[in-house]
Amino acid sequence: MPLALEARGITKRFPGVLANDKVDFQLEQGEIHALLGENGAGKTTLMNILYGLYKADEGEILVDGKPITMTDPKDAIRHGIGMVHQHFMLVPVMTVAENVMLGDETPTPRSAWMGPLSHLNVKAVEEKIRELSTRYGLAVDPTEYVQTLPVGVQQRVEIIKVLYRDARILILDEPTAVLTPQEAQDMFKIMQSLVDQGVSIIFITHKLKEVLAIADRITVMRAGRVVGSTTPAQATEAQLAAMMVGREVILEVKKGEAQPGAEILKVENLSVIDDRKHKAVRGVSFAVSAGEVLGVAGVQGNGQTELVEAITGLRKAESGHIHLGDTDLVNHAPRWVFEHGTAHVPEDRQKHGLVLSYSVRDNLTLVSYYQPPFSKGGVLEEDFIAANAAKLIKEFDIRTPSAQTAVSTLSGGNQQKVIVARELNRPVKLLVAAQPTRGLDVGSIEFIHHRIIEQRDAGCAVLLASAELDEILSLSDRVAVMYKGEILDILPIKEATRERVGLLMAGVQEQR
Amino acid sequence: MTATSKAEVREPELGRLQVLLYRLGVPLLAVITALALGALAMWASGSDPLVAYKGLLDGSFLKTRAFGETLVASTPYLLLALGVGFGFKCGLFNIGVEGQYYIGQILAVWVAINVKGLPLYVHLPLVILAGMLGGAIWAGIPGFLKVRFGAHEVITTMMLNYVSFNLCDYLVGLKGPMRDPRASVPQSRPILASAQLPRLNELPALMANPLARIVVALLVGLVLYLLFRLVTRYGFKGRLSKLNAGIVAAVSLALAAGAWLLLGNLASFGGAFVDKGSRLHIGFLIALAMSVFMWWLLYKTTFGFEIRTVGANRDAAGYAGINITRNVVMAMAISGSLAGMAGAIEIIGLDRVLKSFFSAGYGFDSIAIALLANSHPLGSIVSALLFGALRNGADLMELRSGVSKQMISVVQALILMFVAAPAVISWLYRIKAPRGEKAASVTSGWGK
Repeated sequence: MPLALEARGITKRFPGVLANDKVDFQLEQGEIHALLGENGAGKTTLMNILYGLYKADEGEILVDGKPITMTDPKDAIRHGIGMVHQHFMLVPVMTVAENVMLGDETPTPRSAWMGPLSHLNVKAVEEKIRELSTRYGLAVDPTEYVQTLPVGVQQRVEIIKVLYRDARILILDEPTAVLTPQEAQDMFKIMQSLVDQGVSIIFITHKLKEVLAIADRITVMRAGRVVGSTTPAQATEAQLAAMMVGREVILEVKKGEAQPGAEILKVENLSVIDDRKHKAVRGVSFAVSAGEVLGVAGVQGNGQTELVEAITGLRKAESGHIHLGDTDLVNHAPRWVFEHGTAHVPEDRQKHGLVLSYSVRDNLTLVSYYQPPFSKGGVLEEDFIAANAAKLIKEFDIRTPSAQTAVSTLSGGNQQKVIVARELNRPVKLLVAAQPTRGLDVGSIEFIHHRIIEQRDAGCAVLLASAELDEILSLSDRVAVMYKGEILDILPIKEATRERVGLLMAGVQEQR
Repeated sequence: MTATSKAEVREPELGRLQVLLYRLGVPLLAVITALALGALAMWASGSDPLVAYKGLLDGSFLKTRAFGETLVASTPYLLLALGVGFGFKCGLFNIGVEGQYYIGQILAVWVAINVKGLPLYVHLPLVILAGMLGGAIWAGIPGFLKVRFGAHEVITTMMLNYVSFNLCDYLVGLKGPMRDPRASVPQSRPILASAQLPRLNELPALMANPLARIVVALLVGLVLYLLFRLVTRYGFKGRLSKLNAGIVAAVSLALAAGAWLLLGNLASFGGAFVDKGSRLHIGFLIALAMSVFMWWLLYKTTFGFEIRTVGANRDAAGYAGINITRNVVMAMAISGSLAGMAGAIEIIGLDRVLKSFFSAGYGFDSIAIALLANSHPLGSIVSALLFGALRNGADLMELRSGVSKQMISVVQALILMFVAAPAVISWLYRIKAPRGEKAASVTSGWGK
């Protein structure tokens, strides 16, 4: 097969980091080439170089065998390279057609002489979108407004945007991160049909199952270097994980039988209203005992977020009770909840969990800065704070140049480790973890799962809310499934098969 | 370990140095570039920029009394910039420091006229506190409106500006309650002697009183003691922090005794102490002390940590259990109290009488000063001095070169522009921003 795209000896340095170290990468015509690696392995840097966003310090890029130079994404598009970013770049109040032509507006032939005042040739654009849509099985209506479209369709609009500009090489940056399992399956079908029509795809991900399911070839990066290439036929999940992390990784969480003790958290008839004044949690009741993990499964947006926020004090409950031991937590401030033995790993780590402009050190004291020995008489004890940070950085293996480094420069996995380190740095009776591994790499996921089980075994009650069914099934001792604000059922882990939980997540309740 | 992690281990010191250089370099280059562009504008309009800038330099530093006048002009600048900067640190844009400054003047003058029979060292702090209280209330109202009703502080503080301007006019205007009936122009009665902030040339006479001398000497000792404590605790990476507090106290006491001796012989030092025309008052020392205090408050206390956290990420502050409502109101009140203090010190140090409203323009300049200093209390000292010098030297510049002193406003505006858009400076001088270093985002919206 001829090569569609080739990168030779790409090196890119950032202050303090060698992001790409003599990277060679070859994309054959009409293949899906998965680029696998942990966060911070250099995947995104490489792609940004291929897309013209960064300039490589060394190395060259060849398209169809000819060396090219790029100074910005426009050059990349001219060479037929298109990128679909993880975060969509769409204008919600515009139609699909308007979004697609944005930046490349074509006037109608008759009004072209009017320059900036000419009529937009919306009809022609819509026509082309329809054509692309049927050719690649994208099923997108060009006249619909983007804000009314589900996430999966918005992503297809992004793909159309790229195809509309005649891209023959597609870079998909973690395309399945925002999709439901069904939508991800649709996405794979689309990718297959794109490839069948001669498009070449670079598929960036860290989900091993997906790679094995869809890719033709796999390249694994670690610490800025390509550590190897393989094919799905030759590789197993465990091998790929080991290549990514650089050592053997235990994908299955090893844990013994739960030893449930006294009841720690008891939620009774809890109802919570969300920001849009809708009832997000409707009369939920459950209990978590010491030494067990209760997993809350459910498709995103079925009230898990609001449930967690109500328990941790971030959101007022409308009615009901939350008991932590003998204390009633309901509608107390977050600090009060903390002080009564709760640790909270929040769902959105950059919004709630961290102050991004602060150093690692300050983020590690974010919730306890006011207590001795972190401060005395209202004055921060910098020596203790520094020692505490040094201890936690070592203990939780937080990869940071120094304790003074701004936490915004760390990778997602290390940011999450900062939060987990901080929350588990005090005696806790209850650990509430919401989406604790969302967007993290294999190594960090393994680490955080290990810590959660460690807490359980130490006699802590754990409430785990996650949209990743795998995570729920591998960590939980009991599984509660939420659907439209209600808990449909709570299953012991032995009875919680993937199919049964999946049906409950879709709102199908079986007859007992 | 791989090559990358090795590089990461080696880098931090250099990385932090880079960040520091960038943070100091951008404002410095902004000032230089603005002055260069100002020179270009002067040259284009047919004046000699060298003559103009020499005039500026002479007028602000080199001529007799010039430096003293620069300090006089820098004093309100510094206090106001501390106030604005404190608001910025909490994510608040207190654009109404000018109004808080006038309320501070009104309350300070009222106390300075109507509270009688107190000695200087009681009356003076009382007057300054009254000014601070006025500013705190005037800024606290918008703070309260913000947390209670979501009213944006830019609007409310600006509106309160006009209320305070007109209130000032009313109070000293025709039939106004504070108007001096004997004066031919609208102004209040002069403040009592016990409320006058001493000018340096008044100090020798004041220090003739032994009680005043002892009080001041003890005050000097206390300030030195606190300064020693700060240095030993936070300087030298804490190497001296084990130094015996008793020794420090003893040294301070000895220095206080020394100060007592010196204070008695101030006249023999000459300079501003005997210069009858000098307006230099001790307000600049107070402003300097406040800068150090605000730095300590912001960066070394739990209160400052809360303020900064609310400013940096309001959601995370809520998650961390920080009371956002209280911190926003407190930040506004403290910001306003600094503005009120500026007003009080200015009026009891210089005019010593409340006149009808005439904007000195301090309030709005101080926003630029705070931005130039990136809201840092210690950085504000330098940028306030710069703006004070520019303001003070402008007259001589105009006289010597014929360049309108409005050119100084142009230069100030250019400085502000370059500081607000550091990308321009980075591009101009080919500097790369270190990782994690973002353009100053001053405020954040309320609401979701």
